[in-house]
Amino acid sequence: MADSQREPVTLTIDGRSVTVPAGTNLIEAARTLGIEIPHFCYHRNLSIAGNCRMCLVDIEKVPKNQIACSTSVAPGMVVRTRSEKAVKARQGVMEFLLINHPLDCPICDQAGECVLQDFSYHYGTGGSRFEGEKVHNEKNVDIGPHIVFDGERCIKCTRCIRFCDEVTHTHELALFSRGDHTIIGTFPGSRLDNDYSGCTVDLCPVGALTLKEFRFRQRVWFLENTPSVCAGCGRGCNVDLAINENRIWRMTPRENDAVNRSWMCDEGRLSFLRYQQTERLGRARAEATGAGGAREIPPEPAWEMAAATLGEIARKHGGGTIAGITSGHATLEEQAALSELIARAGGSRIALPVHERGEDDALLIRKDKTANAAGARLAGGANCSMEELLSAVRTGQVRALVVLREDPLADFGEEAKVARGALDFLLTLDWRVTPTVNASDLALPVSAYGEMDGSIVNFEGRLQLLRPGLRPYQESDPAWRPLLEIASRLGGSAVPKSFREAFRWTASRVPLFAGIDTPAVGKLGLQLDSTSSPRGEA
Amino acid sequence: MSHDAYSPLLLKNIHRADSATLAAYRESGGYRALERALKEMSPEQVLEEVKASGLRGRGGAGFPTGMKWSFMPKGEGEKYLVLNADESEPGTFKDRLLMERDPHLVLEGFLIGCYAVGCRHGYIYIRGEFVHAHRVLLKAVEDARAAGLAGKNILGSGFDCEITLYRGAGAYICGEETALLESLEGKRGMPRLKPPFPAQVGLYGKPTSVNNVETVANVPLIVEMGSSWYASIGRPKNTGPKLYCVSGHVRRPGVYEFPLGVPLKELVFEHAGGMLRKDRPLKAVVPGGSSVPILPAEKCDVLMDFDSLAAAGTMLGSAGVIVMDDSVCMVDALLNLARFYAHESCGQCTPCREGCGWYVQILDRLERGEGKSSDLDLLLDLSDRIQGNTICPLGDAVAMPVRSYVNVFRDEFQHHVTQKRCLAKPATASR
Repeated sequence: MADSQREPVTLTIDGRSVTVPAGTNLIEAARTLGIEIPHFCYHRNLSIAGNCRMCLVDIEKVPKNQIACSTSVAPGMVVRTRSEKAVKARQGVMEFLLINHPLDCPICDQAGECVLQDFSYHYGTGGSRFEGEKVHNEKNVDIGPHIVFDGERCIKCTRCIRFCDEVTHTHELALFSRGDHTIIGTFPGSRLDNDYSGCTVDLCPVGALTLKEFRFRQRVWFLENTPSVCAGCGRGCNVDLAINENRIWRMTPRENDAVNRSWMCDEGRLSFLRYQQTERLGRARAEATGAGGAREIPPEPAWEMAAATLGEIARKHGGGTIAGITSGHATLEEQAALSELIARAGGSRIALPVHERGEDDALLIRKDKTANAAGARLAGGANCSMEELLSAVRTGQVRALVVLREDPLADFGEEAKVARGALDFLLTLDWRVTPTVNASDLALPVSAYGEMDGSIVNFEGRLQLLRPGLRPYQESDPAWRPLLEIASRLGGSAVPKSFREAFRWTASRVPLFAGIDTPAVGKLGLQLDSTSSPRGEA
Repeated sequence: MSHDAYSPLLLKNIHRADSATLAAYRESGGYRALERALKEMSPEQVLEEVKASGLRGRGGAGFPTGMKWSFMPKGEGEKYLVLNADESEPGTFKDRLLMERDPHLVLEGFLIGCYAVGCRHGYIYIRGEFVHAHRVLLKAVEDARAAGLAGKNILGSGFDCEITLYRGAGAYICGEETALLESLEGKRGMPRLKPPFPAQVGLYGKPTSVNNVETVANVPLIVEMGSSWYASIGRPKNTGPKLYCVSGHVRRPGVYEFPLGVPLKELVFEHAGGMLRKDRPLKAVVPGGSSVPILPAEKCDVLMDFDSLAAAGTMLGSAGVIVMDDSVCMVDALLNLARFYAHESCGQCTPCREGCGWYVQILDRLERGEGKSSDLDLLLDLSDRIQGNTICPLGDAVAMPVRSYVNVFRDEFQHHVTQKRCLAKPATASR
């Protein structure tokens, strides 16, 4: 049931009155007042386990402390999170949790973002009366392709178990043994190997589960998060890009219940590694006529050259012989700019290559491996298939081709090679060096993931923003800039000076975007709806 | 007043060599109550009768059985009655006797209970180590089914009730009703969060009532003899016969049946034959199984019923009466107990999981003469931080005895610190 449909309930927490929908638990109710009720096992997108006991609160007329996570608000309820009874219980839980914890913060990856560490500072006593021998457990256990487990740091909150039971339904993890020897592990013969295993690391409040691809790489306090969107498939999971020294070290899901809740897939999580391993195109390259080999040229001469060549071909053979290949990897602004350029040159054909792999799953993963295929249709003017376009090239109907963030020579093999031979002019815009870039008459460098602002539309029609955390590489730019520079030389309008201007220019071309500006999209995106006026969700 | 003349109601059959057979049980009037309930009474009438009898659960908490049943939703929906036959409380051995020696009494009571709450499939969760009791009970269920006393159309009444036995795998915690249900569902035996209570969401998510073996063994008596007759046994609000398990330093340890409210000293000194050794006086009694606070000898003038023992600061619990003479070292006894709870803690919630092991470490160093004075207050403080803050009563079940042993026998604990040895004369030779 939506919150608005539930009866409002008024209660008092730490002397302050609050009204929340019926059924809200005390942790969430307190949160609305800015009161933190500390917890380890509770997670808003998992079932309630109630095992850590950290969220014990004192409720008037109830003899025992109650756990806030599994207690629903009731009218007139009086909750005290800081009474002596509650504080004593919480300090007890803190002390209990630490007696068998190794306290190896100096060498633990979680330090700095460890809930146990933070709560120990905020809610512990700063000391321990424990003097005995700690329980020892397995350490450095390779439990899956991406995950390493430390049984001593684990506080048995069971979030990871519940995630594998309730979200992925893969059931790899369980509790084994009893008492203070209780340990989390995989079932015999099983590994923590599912498409979302990295989420267990995000969920782990301590350093018990670490990601092989991140552990020991960076101290988290050096990292700065850029809120962005994963570009790995048509879902567009909201993410944080953790950046230090102009490099992405980690991608983690950013909570957005309308898109990905608290999750993301492992492929998306590790997608930045693939980007980092790719050879970049940093400067414009022109094929030296007759001499063979490419030479680097500055941006403006490159734009002039492109405009002149396209203009000449249009004059000789007609504007209809100029076509484009747009991309689901490009942003809305870039797709719109390509569409504008083709139109300015007198052409109309724009193809959208399909990048599908596997199947859509029941959770997040989409078989469409591009982030913005929807945008290519909305703003990019995509109107034909690659097969149709290549055939038009072979038959001479198309003599010049502008390729945006696509690599048809690699993806379409012999067919594309033949088509290349039939072209008078191939202009490619890409962030990496590809076979198509190498075969181009002119190649222009564009920004890679994480280097630029851009808007994209996911498969459900949600408009979301990509944000930059990295400096642009050499002379690369968002592709809308060179595309519109060329278009302006063919009689197009002035080139937008900023992303926001580019977005507004794009929005003005698409009826569905009427009246939308970037602030309305916000961090959580905006569901596009042709029937009602778009509203921001903060 | 002595109870020498009391003739047992629950244990009346057990001395026959063939007491476990259906024939013997029927000969002594068995299954008349079931027939009466099914043919002459509505389920509501049975429930009202049990309510009126004042029967309180014999598993430990003493919750009124009729009220517990009345929490089950009325109507036809799927619901379950589960028999808790996971008797594991140290010092407790009454349910095993009933199951081994008079299984049909247990079964008859259970079937009547199923009828009262509208359960068509009852489950008996029996402690895994009870191999013999399981065998006997299984035979009893098979014989009852063959005789038309269980299964389809019981005694021609149109009431169907299947009975399934399920053996536990040896965890004390599975005697806690929600851990029992988890285990019965094939999961790891760990207590559930409450609410929801089993009467709303129990076995397989259906409304469920979980009852102790001895509790249901009282039900045929109530149905056959009537609630007012039953309520006249024992004391107000503490009605009916009760099985007391007497163990420890007495001459005749065993299971004794008397009305609720028998004086503890009468039980120990008359019926159980008094102290084992003449020169070893009574030091203390644990009156209700290992989980309850201990009574020192001078506080043993108390009646053995729920309310009298609560007034004395302890509990009737499972009526496992553990008698200790002055050879017992209380540090050693508590260490032994703490080890049990540390071993049996399910490991789910923080205070119990971590606290039980910590208790053991502290008590172990006290026992070895390596403790400190501050350890005594630390033990008490840990109890404050565990009790009331855990998912299930196991935390309370260890915190309460620790607090009471340390408070009642503080001198003795202190002696272990200052003199580095036992005050008990002499220390038990067994360790």
